[in-house]
Amino acid sequence: MQKTSKLSRDGAVWGLLMVAPTIIGLLVLNIWPFIETIYMSFSKSLPFGEFEFEGLDNYIEMFQNPEFWKATGNTILFCILTVPVGIFLALLVAVLLNSKIRGRTTFRAIFFLPMVVAPAAVAMVWKWIFNTQYGILNTAFGQNVGWLTDPHLVLLTCAVVQIWSNIGYDAVLLLAGLQNVSQTLYEAADLDGASKVRQFFSITLPMVSPTLFVVLIMRLMSSLKVFDLVYMMVDDANPALNDAQTLMSLFYRESFIAGDKGYASAIVVWTVLLIGIVTVIQFVGQKKWVNYEV
Amino acid sequence: MNKLHRFAAGALAALLAASLAGCAADDGTVDLTFQIWDVAQRDGMQAMCDAYTAQHPDVHIEVQVINWDEYWTKLEAATMSNKMPDIFWMHTNEILKYADNGKLADCSDIVETEHFSDISLSNASGSDGVLYGVPKDKDTVGLVYNKEMFDAAGVAYPDETWTWDDLVEASEKIHDATGNYGYMAYADDQLGYWNFVYQAGGSILTPDKTRGNFLDPGTRKGMEFYIGLQQNDWCPDQNYFAETSPGTAFFSEKGAMFLEGNWNILAELQNYPDMVGKWDVAVLPACPDPVSGEGRATISNGLSYATGANNPHLDIVKDVLKFFGSEEGQRIQGESGAAIPAYEGLEDTWVGVFDEYPIDVQCFIDMFDYCIQSVNNAARPEWKTDVSDTLLKIYTGELDLDTGLAQMQEAVDTASAEYYEEDA
Repeated sequence: MQKTSKLSRDGAVWGLLMVAPTIIGLLVLNIWPFIETIYMSFSKSLPFGEFEFEGLDNYIEMFQNPEFWKATGNTILFCILTVPVGIFLALLVAVLLNSKIRGRTTFRAIFFLPMVVAPAAVAMVWKWIFNTQYGILNTAFGQNVGWLTDPHLVLLTCAVVQIWSNIGYDAVLLLAGLQNVSQTLYEAADLDGASKVRQFFSITLPMVSPTLFVVLIMRLMSSLKVFDLVYMMVDDANPALNDAQTLMSLFYRESFIAGDKGYASAIVVWTVLLIGIVTVIQFVGQKKWVNYEV
Repeated sequence: MNKLHRFAAGALAALLAASLAGCAADDGTVDLTFQIWDVAQRDGMQAMCDAYTAQHPDVHIEVQVINWDEYWTKLEAATMSNKMPDIFWMHTNEILKYADNGKLADCSDIVETEHFSDISLSNASGSDGVLYGVPKDKDTVGLVYNKEMFDAAGVAYPDETWTWDDLVEASEKIHDATGNYGYMAYADDQLGYWNFVYQAGGSILTPDKTRGNFLDPGTRKGMEFYIGLQQNDWCPDQNYFAETSPGTAFFSEKGAMFLEGNWNILAELQNYPDMVGKWDVAVLPACPDPVSGEGRATISNGLSYATGANNPHLDIVKDVLKFFGSEEGQRIQGESGAAIPAYEGLEDTWVGVFDEYPIDVQCFIDMFDYCIQSVNNAARPEWKTDVSDTLLKIYTGELDLDTGLAQMQEAVDTASAEYYEEDA
C-alpha cells in the first residue's frame, strides 16, 4: 500500500518535472505579461517603462474616443467579411480536394502554399495587384478604382487578401475531418437513393462539424486580432487609414508611435474581452449544431 | 550524491576562476559600442572611429547599425535595463524624451560651441537648454526637379528668383506639354507643408514651443496654399501618394518636382544610375507675399552623438565624443559623403563628394542662411499622429481648412499642456 503511494507520488513529481518547461514558459511569456498588461491598462505610462497607477482613466478616455469605436466597428466588420465566406470557401475546397480528381496532391499543395509565404510578402504582392495606377487588376479591366484608398473599399480589399491567405490552411484542417468520415455511411446513403447534395448536408456536414467548429473559433480569433496584413497594406499616409484601422492597428499606433502604453493596454484588454465574449457565445451555440457522435 | 555536489562545486569554482582570469588578463583596453541607424553612413562613421583609435590604441569602437524602425524600440529597452550603447546617434524627435528624463550625459564641457550654429546647438539640447549631445550634422530641404521635363515644356529651371507663382506656372506648363505631374505636394511635414508655413511667415509652434500656432494668419496662408495645390490637375492627390511616394514617382519620371532632404541625394544618385544627369536640385521657392518676413525658409534638422548618463567609461567616451565634434572628426564625416558636418566652415567637404556627379548641391548649403529649426517640443510624439490624421481629413474634404487647423491647434495644445503647464 505504502509502496504504491510513494510510486504514484514519484510519478506525479516526474510528470510535473516533464511539463515544467511548458508551464514555466507559459507563466513567464504569457500569463505574467498578461497580468502586467491588465495592471498597465489602469496606469498612466511614463517614459522608459515606468507606470503610475491612475484607475479607470484610460478606459474612460477610450470609451469616449470615436476613433476607438470606429476601430471596434472595423474589426467586427472585418470578421463578418472574412469568416463566413472564408470558411465556406475552405469547406468547398476541402470537399473538392477530397474527391477523386486528377492531380489531387498538386492541388492540395497549391492551396496550402499561401500559408507558407510570409504575411508581409503576401501583402506586398497584393498591394501591387491593387495599385490604382499600375496594378494588374485595374489595368486588366481598364478601371481606375482606388482599392486601397477608397474608404468604402479598403476593408473589403484587406478581407479578400485575408480570405485568400487562409483558405489553404482551413481546407487542410477540414480535409482531415472529411477523411475521418466512414465510407460506409455514403454507401448506405447510396443504397437508400440519397442525392449527392442530400448526402453532403445529412452526412458530410454533421460529421465534419467538430472540425468546422475548431476552424470557426480559430478564424474568428485571428480576424479579431488582425494586424500585420492591415499594417502592411495601408500605410500612414493613406487617407483611408481611419476606415481600415482595426483594434490591433490602433493598439500599435498608441503603444509604439504615440508611446502611450497604458492607453494601448486598455485597448488590448478590451480586445481580449471581445474575443472572450465571442468565444463563449460560440461554445454555447455549438450545442445546437456540432455533432460529436460518430 | 555527495560526489555530484563536489563535482558541481568544483566546476563552479573553475568557472569563477576562469572569469576572474578574464578580468585579470585585461590590459587596460576599453571596448566601446557605437550605435547608428543609417547603413549608408557606416563607412563614414567607421573612418571617424579609426582615426580616433589610431591615436588611442587602448580604445576599441565597434559600429553597430540598427535600422530606423527598430532603433528607438531597442534604445528605449536598453535604457530601461541600463545597457545603453556607449555612443549613439540622437534624433531631434527623441532627444527631449531622453534628455528631460535624465538619461543622457551632459556634454556642455566638450562641445566647442563657437563652431556650431544656434540651431545645431539647440538640436542637441534638452528642454533645460543644456547640451546633451555633440552636434553631428545638419540638413536642409531642397526642390528636386527633372530637367528633361522642363526642357520639353520650354520652362526655365528653378533658381533663387522663384516664388510660389513660378512653381504653379511651371507645373501647369509641364503638365500641358508632357502630361506628367508638375510639383508633387505630399502630405509630409518636414518634406512638405512645414516649409511653406514658415515661408508664409507662420509657424507650427509658438516661439517658446509650449503651444501650437496653427491659427496664425501666416500659418493658415501656408497651409491653404499647400493643401490647395492638390486641386490642380498637375498635382497628384493623397490617394496617389498612399501607393506611390513622390520620390518613386519622380524617379520613374511621372512627375517633375518634389521636396527632398539633402541626406537622400547621394543614395538617389547611386540607386537610379539611369536618371543621373536628368535631374538637379534648387533652393525652395519663396512666398511672394508673406504675412511677415522675407518669404524664404527651409526646414533644417540635425543629429547629435550622445552617451548615457550612467556610462561606466564616461571619461573615455566623452573624449571620443569630443573628437567626433572636433574639426578633424567632422571633416572625416563630411568627406565620406555621409552628411553635412554641423561644424561651421566644413560644408564644402560634403559638397565636394558630389564633384563626380552632374548635380549642383551647393543650394543646400546656401539655404542655411534662412533655415528654420525642425519643429519639436517634448509632447511631439503625442501630437504628431493627431496632426497628420487631421491633415488627411482636410485633404479628403472631411474637414474644412479652418476646422482642421483648429483641431490641430487643440491637439498640440492638449498634449503640450501636460509638459509645459507649470512653466506657463
